[in-house]
Amino acid sequence: MAVSATLSLAGAGNGAIFYGEFEQVGRVNSKLCKRPTKHFDWFCLNGHQILHANCYWQIPRNGGKLQNFKSRDLPLPLAYGKGAKVMTYLQNVSEDTDDMFDDLFRKYGKVVFRSNEQKPPTAEVDDDAESLSFAVEMAKVASDVKAGDIKVLFVKPLVYWTRFFIIVTAFSRPQIDAIGSRIRDLAEKKYGKVPSGDTKPNSWTLLDFGDVVIHIFLPPQRAFYNLEEFYGNATLIELPFENQPPFRG
Amino acid sequence: MIQPQTHLNVADNSGAQELMCIRIIGASNRRYAHIGDVIVAVIKDALPNTPLEKSEVIRAVIVRTCKELKRDNGMIIRYDDNAAVVIDQEGNPKGTRIFGAIARELRQLNFTKIVSLAPEVF
Repeated sequence: MAVSATLSLAGAGNGAIFYGEFEQVGRVNSKLCKRPTKHFDWFCLNGHQILHANCYWQIPRNGGKLQNFKSRDLPLPLAYGKGAKVMTYLQNVSEDTDDMFDDLFRKYGKVVFRSNEQKPPTAEVDDDAESLSFAVEMAKVASDVKAGDIKVLFVKPLVYWTRFFIIVTAFSRPQIDAIGSRIRDLAEKKYGKVPSGDTKPNSWTLLDFGDVVIHIFLPPQRAFYNLEEFYGNATLIELPFENQPPFRG
Repeated sequence: MIQPQTHLNVADNSGAQELMCIRIIGASNRRYAHIGDVIVAVIKDALPNTPLEKSEVIRAVIVRTCKELKRDNGMIIRYDDNAAVVIDQEGNPKGTRIFGAIARELRQLNFTKIVSLAPEVF
């Protein structure tokens, strides 16, 4: 895989701008950006006596851009006295980086990407606990408005996009409206969360709080979609209050 | 890039097998629909003994397109087929299960019901 990077040298004295390009053959890693910096510092200071100060170089960070950068795009090719020396020097760089990457691969394996925002495991547990308390509170509110067959499922191991599902049955559209508005009010007042999803009462009303998703069904829709069966492997959370048994019409 | 006359697969168990787009809902003269857009479609092919029949006009949400979907982080997703999920006027899916992978953009577009029935979300 060939990677080209641009080198720009701006002369302070005469204002002339020289551009050079080097090709590096080898595996690419994010470390690539750091390694040549050292070499070009040297190159700037010692290689060109007429160019001093304002000496900088840049490598586009984006891999796609690197690929597209062609020498013909540059206004002036590097036809310069010290050019040959520079190229041999760069060859050394590529060999050097190859060895370096081999060492890194041996040490860490082929890590393609690692996020900088890695949370410690305790933060994850805290988030889970916070969502759980929110979910239980919402289930309690639904129970206060006489919703039937309330189930809180821990679906985080099954889907990445949420943590808890609350599935409740309401027996009429006004009741769905009542449950929905009570839940919205409490969530906004106590937790400052505003749900997305349905705003009007619907036969399947969904309130999406991000980590907690609340499904309010009419009995026929609950039987039709049968979400509990679809998420059958999810852990059922025990609720601290008396739960009404499923409605048997 | 779904436009009128485009044929789409159906990615749910509603009973419809093939759809043809006849209108894109949104602006008055909208040319193309992408993932997450609602279209009006006609059922070209349906399974027997199901609630939906051939030549019925329905609404559907596009869930997969052959045209690439670009995300802000530079990720590009392209599926092998054009597929849609049949919905009713309220936005509830007509089927009970979704087949195949769908994109997470549907959740941001308020189709969380479809996302919660899907087996895989990218």
